[in-house]
Amino acid sequence: MIRLTWLQFRTQAVTAAAALAAFAVLLAATGPHMASLYAASGLSGCHGSSCLSPATYFTASLARSPYGVLFLLSTGIILLAPAVIGLFWGAPLIARELETGTAALVWNQSVTRTRWLAVKLAIGGLTAMAVTEALSLMQTWWAVPISQAVADGSGAGVAQSRFSQLNFATHGITPLGYAAFAFALGVTAGALIRRTFPAMAVTLAIFAALQVAMPLWVRPNLAPPDRTVIPVTSLGGAGPSQTGPGGDTFTLYALNIPGQPGAWLLSSGPVNAAGQPVSTTPAACTSVGNTGQSAGAQGNAFPPGQGPAAFVDCLGRHGIRETITYQPASRYWPFQWTETAIYLALALALAGYCFRRLNRRRS
Amino acid sequence: MTAAIEASGLGKAYRRTWALRDCTLAIPGGHVVGLVGPNGAGKTTLLRLATGQLTPTRGTISVLGEPPAVSPAQLARVGYVAQDTPVYARMRVADHLRLGAWLNPGWDDELAQRRIAQVGLDPKQRGGSLSGGQRAQLALTLALAKRPELLLLDEPVAGLDPLARREFLRGLMAAVAEHGTSVVLSSHLVTDLERVCDYLIVLVASRVRIAGEVSELLASHRRLSGPSRDPGTLPAGQDVIEERHTDKQSTLLVRTGEPIHDPAWTVTPVSMEELVLAYMNPANDIPARRPQLGVAS
Repeated sequence: MIRLTWLQFRTQAVTAAAALAAFAVLLAATGPHMASLYAASGLSGCHGSSCLSPATYFTASLARSPYGVLFLLSTGIILLAPAVIGLFWGAPLIARELETGTAALVWNQSVTRTRWLAVKLAIGGLTAMAVTEALSLMQTWWAVPISQAVADGSGAGVAQSRFSQLNFATHGITPLGYAAFAFALGVTAGALIRRTFPAMAVTLAIFAALQVAMPLWVRPNLAPPDRTVIPVTSLGGAGPSQTGPGGDTFTLYALNIPGQPGAWLLSSGPVNAAGQPVSTTPAACTSVGNTGQSAGAQGNAFPPGQGPAAFVDCLGRHGIRETITYQPASRYWPFQWTETAIYLALALALAGYCFRRLNRRRS
Repeated sequence: MTAAIEASGLGKAYRRTWALRDCTLAIPGGHVVGLVGPNGAGKTTLLRLATGQLTPTRGTISVLGEPPAVSPAQLARVGYVAQDTPVYARMRVADHLRLGAWLNPGWDDELAQRRIAQVGLDPKQRGGSLSGGQRAQLALTLALAKRPELLLLDEPVAGLDPLARREFLRGLMAAVAEHGTSVVLSSHLVTDLERVCDYLIVLVASRVRIAGEVSELLASHRRLSGPSRDPGTLPAGQDVIEERHTDKQSTLLVRTGEPIHDPAWTVTPVSMEELVLAYMNPANDIPARRPQLGVAS
């Protein structure tokens, strides 16, 4: 059965090997040069806070070079690989046998359906996981200079936090879970729908929906988020925005959390001294911000005691502070393990269903 | 000898329509059994249930004394050639034989190679480029070379031209003669069955209309023609299967164990085709066998 599976899987395996090789060549050809740019930017010799400026410059300039395109392209390939595998390896696995009638041939050899499916799922699933994780590891190696710049504090250009959807889903061990799940999903859809193309469409729809739902609603709550309240004046770089007639309402978002590098910021907003959310500008601050904004918008220098910084100071004087919910950086690996475990558990449940379906509900 | 297939109250429903309903039969082993019936009689469903391709909605079925496809050993005992004789389009003929060798512990590679050469299949040719006849021969080779005790064939020659049909049946008969395999062959083409079967089952709407060895069936049926007459006046032991009347003449197909002595009748033997058609016709009400000694009603 193992030999038959390899015989039938040969085309897919060769295609995957060719894709991996092309990916490897692309990254190996460009990686060293990007690393030399990193060294030339002065980042390799910097220490502590002196790294921020070269790191920001490095990632911002990468975004305007072919490396920015390459970074997004390679990330996109890793994101799409599980879906492609689910569509082209998973969905036809059972559906095509039923469609072409060859199920009647292969399921009447001296091998039970359970063994047939077990071998097919094991070889297909493990190959899917290996291919996707190999893509991820290659890109992680290639992107080491970018990750280093992010660790040094850069948030510009191609720099993205480890918790960002693009990075979280393409690095670490999550690609293993996605690949196993997408493959099992394709097989299950094929077993249920019994026709290859509709099964492919359903696989794509469900997988895409889950990949959107996961970072939006599930991942932020894998552990209860931490909450902190900080003075508005320590937000650093975050600009307030006044709205409403006469600027009597305002919003104020945090862009990062002081003292928590690499944390995943989930939400932020101003609160009053009692800890309740506020959006009404204290009367004393209305004119401070207003005048400042109109002056700033015309490109003039802010008058003394006016402008965004003065407005934030004024908010602080009137007891307004910023509340932030976030997942600390230390939860990166626990989240990676948890999310991978969820996808692997779903994959196993789908595989179990396929065994039941193939054995009990023959039709 | 264990029955090849035994079914009791067997039924298979797709949503609300019954493909086979309340089917009870026993197909003996050691024969080449022709399973014949009109389209929709449930022949294909019965064979697919017997190979474990389907699970029954109701009732039970056993094949060679075991539930179908229950274990690798049971699967090894039963060979199956499905309708349309599917093969893998992208796999070469030789790959199909490797598949058979890998998946069947009892694989007879010498037999497989010999048959492939005999029927003129190129081992390098892909399944998708084979003609209908070649595909059927490949599927039959796979089923034969696993050396089953029972071979189930579902309309294997339906899509073949007369020459390919003869080649296929000749190959089948040669293999059966060589290994003593039991065969159940479904078809609605009586002429094919006539050539190969020694046992006949007529299945109409899931019911067995008649079953028996071909020689006995032919010996126990006669066509009578003579002056117009009410079939009710026939002596006991002569069951009317089919009757046709004109003003002057009656033609009857009767089942009887006794010679016909009535000089009014012209008695002719029936062909297998006539017999099958008479039993397949739903308009004919088949009487239960009446006691040989009794009062005619």
